Amino acid sequence: MVYTQRSPALLVMGVIMLAIGASVSLGLQDGVIKYLGIGKMVSEMTSLSFVFGTIAVVVGLWHLFGRHVEGNLDYYLSTVAGATFILLIAMLIRWYVAPQVAVWSKALGPVMGDKYLHDVLGLNYVVLGILAGILVVNVFKVPRWAENGVRLSRLGLKTGVVLLGVLYSAAELRQLGGLSIVMIGFFVLGSVGLTLWMGARRNIPNSMGGVLSAGMGVCGVSAAVASAPVVQAKSVEIAYTIGTILLWGVGCMFLFPVIGHLLHMGPVQFGAWAGTGILNSAQVAGAALAFQPGGIETLKVAEIFNITRVLILPIIVVWLAVWYVKREEGAPGVNVGRVVFEKFPIFVIGFLLMFALSSTGVFAPAEHYKGKYFDNDIKGEKLLTPQQLTTLESELGKVQREDQKAALDRLIQGRKLMSPDDDDVLRGLVNANVLSKDANSILKDAHKAVRHTAKKITAFRHWITWLFAFGLTGLGMQITIASIRQAGGEPLVIGGVVGTAKAVLSLIVVLLFVRETI
Amino acid sequence: MDPRSQDIDLQQESGAKFHRGSALSIFKSDRREDWMALLCALAIVIGVYFTVG
Repeated sequence: MVYTQRSPALLVMGVIMLAIGASVSLGLQDGVIKYLGIGKMVSEMTSLSFVFGTIAVVVGLWHLFGRHVEGNLDYYLSTVAGATFILLIAMLIRWYVAPQVAVWSKALGPVMGDKYLHDVLGLNYVVLGILAGILVVNVFKVPRWAENGVRLSRLGLKTGVVLLGVLYSAAELRQLGGLSIVMIGFFVLGSVGLTLWMGARRNIPNSMGGVLSAGMGVCGVSAAVASAPVVQAKSVEIAYTIGTILLWGVGCMFLFPVIGHLLHMGPVQFGAWAGTGILNSAQVAGAALAFQPGGIETLKVAEIFNITRVLILPIIVVWLAVWYVKREEGAPGVNVGRVVFEKFPIFVIGFLLMFALSSTGVFAPAEHYKGKYFDNDIKGEKLLTPQQLTTLESELGKVQREDQKAALDRLIQGRKLMSPDDDDVLRGLVNANVLSKDANSILKDAHKAVRHTAKKITAFRHWITWLFAFGLTGLGMQITIASIRQAGGEPLVIGGVVGTAKAVLSLIVVLLFVRETI
Repeated sequence: MDPRSQDIDLQQESGAKFHRGSALSIFKSDRREDWMALLCALAIVIGVYFTVG
């Protein structure tokens, strides 16, 4: 069988990519870039467009004019058309569609804390990419010349999951409070277990139960994507999980702050509850800020619980890998140990290897979380100037809280932030809008001076972003209306039951055991 | 094809037929795809480690 289709499509897509790269580098898109607020993406818009545009043009010429015979060269080179098709759609979504949605959303103003509608609904390049893929396959159909390459999307997702390990560090886990580890450990493992149990009772496929359990237990898209290949989930099952998480999170985000105020919860209690009960990271932050708009104590606690939850992901992935193999191969007489060894997904080991490497500090200081870390060993020009110190000193009297006053005093004495705790306290002061605009601006500069992002981790994040954008857009192209009907509404029911149980039980635990210190 | 492998609707509905790989992958087994993902990730890690920062 000869896979290569003699079509000009790949060549045309290559020319479009080159045109995007050239127009950006020549400044022809400056107005669009400014309007969409995507100045930070200019570098990737030129580099990716030129690299992949050139590859597409060269291979496209081969597709059109080459002599194709059955074999490896034909088989693998034919995938370039489909891969380029997915990549071009992912580029258009990430550079133009998602920013345009953000522009419209921002025009409506914040709807929850400082979060806009697109944050609340999770309408980012990931979700829009999946929707674009679904639109392509159901409205236009995947073109014949792209069919073979669309099958590369899962490779992109698996590669992204392996790299995901570099974003986390075991040192961060050690720094977390004991309460968050116990609470999150209990509720994450409990949610995963409950979803798997309900899934088995209601006879949904193991793959659906597995991916839904990770989504409901841990959080958001990363967990669903990381666990999907482990349990051989279908594309529609991943989409269902992501949809369930986002819908559930939107409801929680509006409801949690109301309940929190009705029950007179404190910042620590509410932060612990939101960080445990709400599934998506952005939605956790939205609920925390909505509960306490004038400070960040709630947000900080919610972030601690959220980080704890994400760091449990490797354990969940391994659990699901073993569970799935046992469920699928668990007939009497089967040597489970041997089957696990034979079937265990190798890429999960890669993920754990990257997590271990990252924990050694080889890519960033070992205490980093997603590449961000505190270091106040800064150059002289980054220290506060005498003029800035005078501004801060003149406003010391406005500060009422003792901890904020002490932190501000230490900042003035040292001309820089002296500890991560001082940084957190003064972020709360900025949020509370007690000081003048100038003083807040100085505090923000002081914050930026001591908070660093490791360049290597930033580069990894770019790779992960694009691998996920590629993989999920391709995944959308495998979701047909018929497959959605086939999956039915059962996952939504299970997700709703598990989510409600987790929210209610975690609220009870928080009210009984969490006090205003952590 | 592995009977447990995901029989994908796309293939059944569009009539697409692949005589190599499975419906979701161009590789002949999930494990081979895992190895390829691992190799791709390692290549990226090595590239980033020696060229960035």
